[in-house]
Amino acid sequence: MTDAATQPDAAGPGPSGPAHSGKGEPRHFVRMVAIWLVLSLVAVPLFYFLVGPHVPPGTMTSTAEENQFDFNILMVIALPVLIGVWVYLGYCIVTWRASKGGPDPVGGARARTHLGVQTAWIAITSFIVLFLAGFGTFELITTNGAGGGEGPNPVWTPTAAHILPVQVIGQQWAFTYRYPTFGGFESKQLIVPVDTTIAFHVTSLDVIHSFWAYQLSIKADANPQIDNVAFTTTNHTGGFTVRCSELCGLWHGAMYNYGQVVPKQAFETWATTTERATAANTKLLPPFAWTYVPDANGADGGYYNDTVVPYSPSEVYGAKQPAS
Amino acid sequence: MTDTTSIPERTTVYSDTPEEREFELRAAVTSYWTGGRLFIAMFTFLLASLAFAYFYLRSANNGQLWRPNNMTAPTGIGWAIEFTVVASALIAIYGQMRMRRGNVLDWEVAGWTAVLGGLVAMGLQIWQLTQLPFFPGASGYASCFIGWAVMNIVMLFAGTYWLETNLARSLRMRSTAGPGGPGQLAMSAPGQIFRANVSACTYFWGFMAVGSTLFWVMFYLI
Amino acid sequence: MTISAERETEVAYPDPTPPSAGWFQTLPARPGWLSQHLGTAVIGAVLGYLLGHWLGNVIASGYTYVANSGTNSIANTGGIAFGALGWMIGIGALNYPLAKMVGKEPAPEFETTSWTKYFRYTADHKVVGLQYVIGVLLFLFTGGLLAMAIRTELLTPTSHVFGPGTYIAIVSEHGTMMMMMATSVVVGPLGNWLVPLMIGARRTAFPRIEAFSFWVFSAGYIVILTALPYGGFPTGWTGYAPLQTQAGGGMISYLAGFALIGMGMMAAGFNLAVTIINYRAPGMTWSRVPIFVWSILATCALLTLATPTLVAAGIFGILDHTAQTAFYVTEHGGSSYLWQNLFWFFGHPEVYIMALPGFGIAAEILPVFTRKPLFAYKVAAAGMVGVALLSFFVWQHHLFQSGINPDMRPLFMLTTELISIPTGFIFLVGMGTLYKAKIRFEVPMLFVLALFFNFLIGGVTGVFLSDVPVNVTVHGGFFVLSHFHYTIMGGLIFAFFGGLYFWLPKMTGKTMNKKLGQIHFWLMFIFFNLTFFPMFLIGLLGQPRRVFEYQQNLQAFNDFSSVSAFILGASFLVFVANFAWSIFIRPTPSPANPWDSLGLEWQTANPVPYYNFERIPVVLTDPYHYSETDAPAVADLGDPVLVGVAAPAAADGPPDTDPVKHETPPE
Repeated sequence: MTDAATQPDAAGPGPSGPAHSGKGEPRHFVRMVAIWLVLSLVAVPLFYFLVGPHVPPGTMTSTAEENQFDFNILMVIALPVLIGVWVYLGYCIVTWRASKGGPDPVGGARARTHLGVQTAWIAITSFIVLFLAGFGTFELITTNGAGGGEGPNPVWTPTAAHILPVQVIGQQWAFTYRYPTFGGFESKQLIVPVDTTIAFHVTSLDVIHSFWAYQLSIKADANPQIDNVAFTTTNHTGGFTVRCSELCGLWHGAMYNYGQVVPKQAFETWATTTERATAANTKLLPPFAWTYVPDANGADGGYYNDTVVPYSPSEVYGAKQPAS
Repeated sequence: MTDTTSIPERTTVYSDTPEEREFELRAAVTSYWTGGRLFIAMFTFLLASLAFAYFYLRSANNGQLWRPNNMTAPTGIGWAIEFTVVASALIAIYGQMRMRRGNVLDWEVAGWTAVLGGLVAMGLQIWQLTQLPFFPGASGYASCFIGWAVMNIVMLFAGTYWLETNLARSLRMRSTAGPGGPGQLAMSAPGQIFRANVSACTYFWGFMAVGSTLFWVMFYLI
Repeated sequence: MTISAERETEVAYPDPTPPSAGWFQTLPARPGWLSQHLGTAVIGAVLGYLLGHWLGNVIASGYTYVANSGTNSIANTGGIAFGALGWMIGIGALNYPLAKMVGKEPAPEFETTSWTKYFRYTADHKVVGLQYVIGVLLFLFTGGLLAMAIRTELLTPTSHVFGPGTYIAIVSEHGTMMMMMATSVVVGPLGNWLVPLMIGARRTAFPRIEAFSFWVFSAGYIVILTALPYGGFPTGWTGYAPLQTQAGGGMISYLAGFALIGMGMMAAGFNLAVTIINYRAPGMTWSRVPIFVWSILATCALLTLATPTLVAAGIFGILDHTAQTAFYVTEHGGSSYLWQNLFWFFGHPEVYIMALPGFGIAAEILPVFTRKPLFAYKVAAAGMVGVALLSFFVWQHHLFQSGINPDMRPLFMLTTELISIPTGFIFLVGMGTLYKAKIRFEVPMLFVLALFFNFLIGGVTGVFLSDVPVNVTVHGGFFVLSHFHYTIMGGLIFAFFGGLYFWLPKMTGKTMNKKLGQIHFWLMFIFFNLTFFPMFLIGLLGQPRRVFEYQQNLQAFNDFSSVSAFILGASFLVFVANFAWSIFIRPTPSPANPWDSLGLEWQTANPVPYYNFERIPVVLTDPYHYSETDAPAVADLGDPVLVGVAAPAAADGPPDTDPVKHETPPE
C-alpha cells in the first residue's frame, strides 16, 4: 500500500483490503489512488503556477501577498481532497451500480467497521486541520494581523520605524479619511504612499460598516466608538477599490470609492497641499480623535432636555449650535 | 426481495399488555426526570445570556456609562423579592420532602404557600419596575436590570404556574380517588407520573432560587 | 425483557377513575366548524393583533420619541404579541394548560380519520409531521420567491428593479425566512414523524408540546411576513445593532418572529430529545439506535440549549425598541458587540442544527440503496455528538474582522478547524458504505449523492473561511454567501428532498412519480451548482453581500448566476407538481416497504395506524444488516391482533433480508 500519509481522504481498503480482492476482481482501491494521484499531480501545479499568481487580492501590499499565498496553500491542500473524494464517488457510481450486475455486496462485521481505515481517516484529517490552524496562526502573526481589524488594542503590531496612521470614518453612506499627522484634515480620497507601513484606524459615526480595501487586503469593521486598527505595508503603486462589506442600511450597495497608492514624494506633496488648502475647513471639523461621539445636543432629536449636561464626558461631535 | 405484501392489514383497535403499560409508565416517569432537567438547562442558558450581557457591558464600560454614580435599583424591593423567592423555594422543597414520606397534605400547604410567594414576588418585581430611580437607557446597568426584571417575571410565572397546576391536580385526583382511596391512587400510574412531575417542578423551584440569588448579588450587592 | 404475547381484552383507560374531559378540553377535536381549527386560529390572530395594536397606541402614542419618529414600536410589539397569543388561543393550544389550572387531566387521545385533523391541534405525531411538511414547504417557497427577486435585481449593476429600501427589505426577508425554515426543515416534518417509529415508540414524550411547536412555528412565519407591510427591516437576517436600533417598525417583526420561531425550536427539540432518551423500545440500546435518530438527538441538544440565547438577544432588542433600554447602543453604555456575540453564540450552533439532520438522512438512506451496512456507525454517531458539542466553541469566527480581542482569533481559528474533523466523518461513513456496494439510483439516492458532492465544496470552502488571513478577502462577500448556500442548501435541502422522496410513501401511503422526481433532481442539482459556483469567483473578485450595485465587469457572472437561479426555482415547481399529482390528484397507493428497507419505521402497515405498533417491538439489533447471511431480525414485533383479520402469512423471502420475526399465532 503506497504512502497512506499523502492521501488526505481516500477512504481506505474497505472490508477485504486491496491485496485480497476476489479472484480476478480488479484492485479497486489501487485504481482509485492511481487516478487520484495523476489528476492531483496535474491539477496542483497547474493551479499553483498558472492561477496562483493572479489570485485575489493580488500583490499590492504585504498583507495582500501573504493572503494570496495563504489562499494558494489552502488550495494546494484542498484540490487533492476535492479530487480524491470526487474520484472515489465517481468510481463507486460507475463500478458498483446495480444495473451493471456484478458480485453482490458482502455485509457483516468487516463491512461495518474497519479500524485501520477509521484510524487513518481521523489521523489524516486531524493532521491536515491542525497544520492549517498552525499555518494560519503563523501567517496571522507574521503579517501583523493579516490586514484584518485587530480592535483598539492590537496585539501584533509592525515594528517599522515610521507608521503612517490614516483614520477611516464610516458613516451612512460614505467613507472619509483623516490624516492625523497632517493636521487632521479630512479627505474623500484615500491616497497612501508606497513602501510605507500604514495603520488604518477604522471607526464609525452611526452603524456598523466595514472598510474593505480590496487590493490592499484590508478589512476592518467600523463600529461606533471603537477604534479598529489594521496594518499593512504597501509594496507597489496602483489604484484600489474601497467597498463597504457590512450591511449598513439603504445605500450600502452604493458605499464605495477608489483609492491610490502613489510614490512617497507624490504623497507628501498631495498631503501638505491639501492640508493647507483645507485648513479653514479643518477648523470647523470636530477636533481629531480616534472615535467620535454624538453629543446630547445635536444628535438626539430633542429627546434629552438641552439644559442637561450630557451623560458622557467623551468627545462631542458636531459644530456648536448657533444661538437661535 | 423482502415480501412486503405479507405485512397484514391491521385494525385500528388499540390495546396493550401489562408489560407494555409498565414500560410506558416507566418511560413517562423518566421523561419527567429528563425533561425537568433539560428545562432547567434551557433556562440556565437564557439567564447565562443575561449574565454575559451584564459582565460584557461592565467590562466595556462604553462612554463611562456602565453604572454612573453607582446607580442601583430599589434595594428594599430587591431584597424583598429575593427573600420571597428563596423562602418559597425552600418551603416547596420541604413540602416535597414531606410528600415523599407520604404526607401529601403537608405538601399541599407548602405548595400553596410557595405559589402565593411566587405571585407576591412577581407582583413586587412588576411594581419595582415602576419605582426605578433611573431611566431604562440611562446606563448599561439599567438596561441589564430591565432585562433581568423581564426574565425574572417569566421564570417566576413558569414556576408558579407549574406548581399551581400540580396542586390543582392533586386536589382533583383526591376527590376522584376510587375505591382503594389515596393508597391505590398513589401506586397507580397517574400517581407515579404525578410524583415525578412534582419532583421535577421542585427542582425547578430550587433552580429559580439559585438563579435569583446570583442575579440579586449582581444587581444589588456588587 | 420479554413482552408477553398474552394480551388482555382492550382496556379503555388504565387508571382508577376515567377523567371527564369537558367540552372545553375536547373543543379542538370536535368535528365540524364549531370547534377549534385553522379558521379560528386566524380569527384569533386578527382579533389579538387589533387588540394589541390598540393597547400599544393607548399606552405609547403620547411618548415623545414615538410622536417624533412616527413609529410606535410598542403598538407593533403589542399587535404581534397579542396576535400570536390569539392564534394559539384560536387553535386550542391553551385549552389544556388552562384546564390544568383546575386540575384536569388530559383528554384521552383517540384517532380521527377525518382529513380535518391536519388543520387542528393534534397530539398525533404523524399528523404534526405532515403539518410541518406543508408548513416548511410554504416557508421554503416564499423564501425562494424572494430569492428570485434578488437575482432579478442583480441582473444589472446599474439599472434597478427595486428601490434600495425595498431591495434591502427583500434581502433581509429572504435570509430570515430561509434560516427560520431551515432550522426546522428536517426536525419538524421528518423528525416528528419518524423518530417515534424508528425507536419503536407509540408516541412522543410530550405530544402537546410537539403540536405547540408547529403552531408557534407557523405563527412565526406569519409574523415574519408582517415585516413587509411594516416596511421591512434593513439588517439582513443577522440583525446587527446599531442598524437594528435605527430601524423602523419592521424590525419588531424580525425580533418577535425570531422569538416565536425560537420557542417552536425549543419545544420541538425538547420533546424529541426527551422522547429519544426515554421512549426507546426495549432492546434498543444506544448502539442500535438508527443514525437518523442520533442526528436528531444531537440537533435537539443544540435546539434546546443554543436557542435560549437567541431569545435573550431578541428580548434585549425588543426592550431597546420599546422600553428604550440601551443594550445595543454604545453611546448609552451598551455595545454593538453584545448583539454580535449573543447572536453568533446562537448562530453557529444554528447552522449545525441545519447540517446534522442532513447528515442523518444521508446516512440513513445510503444503506438501503447500497444494500450494505452503514460503515463506521459508531464514528458517525460520535461525530454528530462531537459536532454538536464543538459548535458552541466556534462562534467568533463570524467576527474575525470586527475588532474583537485579537487574541481570540487564533483560538477560534483552531476550534473552527477542529470542528471540521467530526464534520468530515459523514464522508468517511458515506464513502465506506459505497465501497463495493450495489447502488440503486432511485430518486432519494440521487439526492443523497448530491449532498456529498455539494457539501464537499461547502465544507472545504468553510476551511478557507476559517483561516483568518484568507478571511480578510472572503468575509462579507459572495464567497461566504456561496459557502453557506452550498452547505445549507446543497447539503440540508437536498437531503430534505431526498428524505421526502424516501419517506413520503410511508407517511402518506402514496407513491411519488419517479420520472418527475428525476427531472426535479437533475434540474435542481445542475442549476444549483451553476447558480452558486460562480458566486465563489464573484466574491473573490470583490463583490460584497447584500449590494444592489456591483462592478461592471462582474455582470457576466451575475447574469449567469441569475439565469441559473431562475431555472433552479423552476425545478421546485416540478416537485410541487409531483407532490400535488401523486398525493392529491391522482394518487397511487404505495406498498408498505417500497425501498426494501430494514428500518423499523417500514415494518408497519400502510397507512401507519394511530398507535404505530400493534405491540411495542422488542429490538434485537440495528437496522443495517444488509447483505449479511444469518443476519438477526431487527425486531420482534409480537403477535398481530387477530380481531377480525386474516391470520398473517408466515414470513417468506430469503432469510437474510427478512427484517421481522413473526411469531406463529396460537391456533
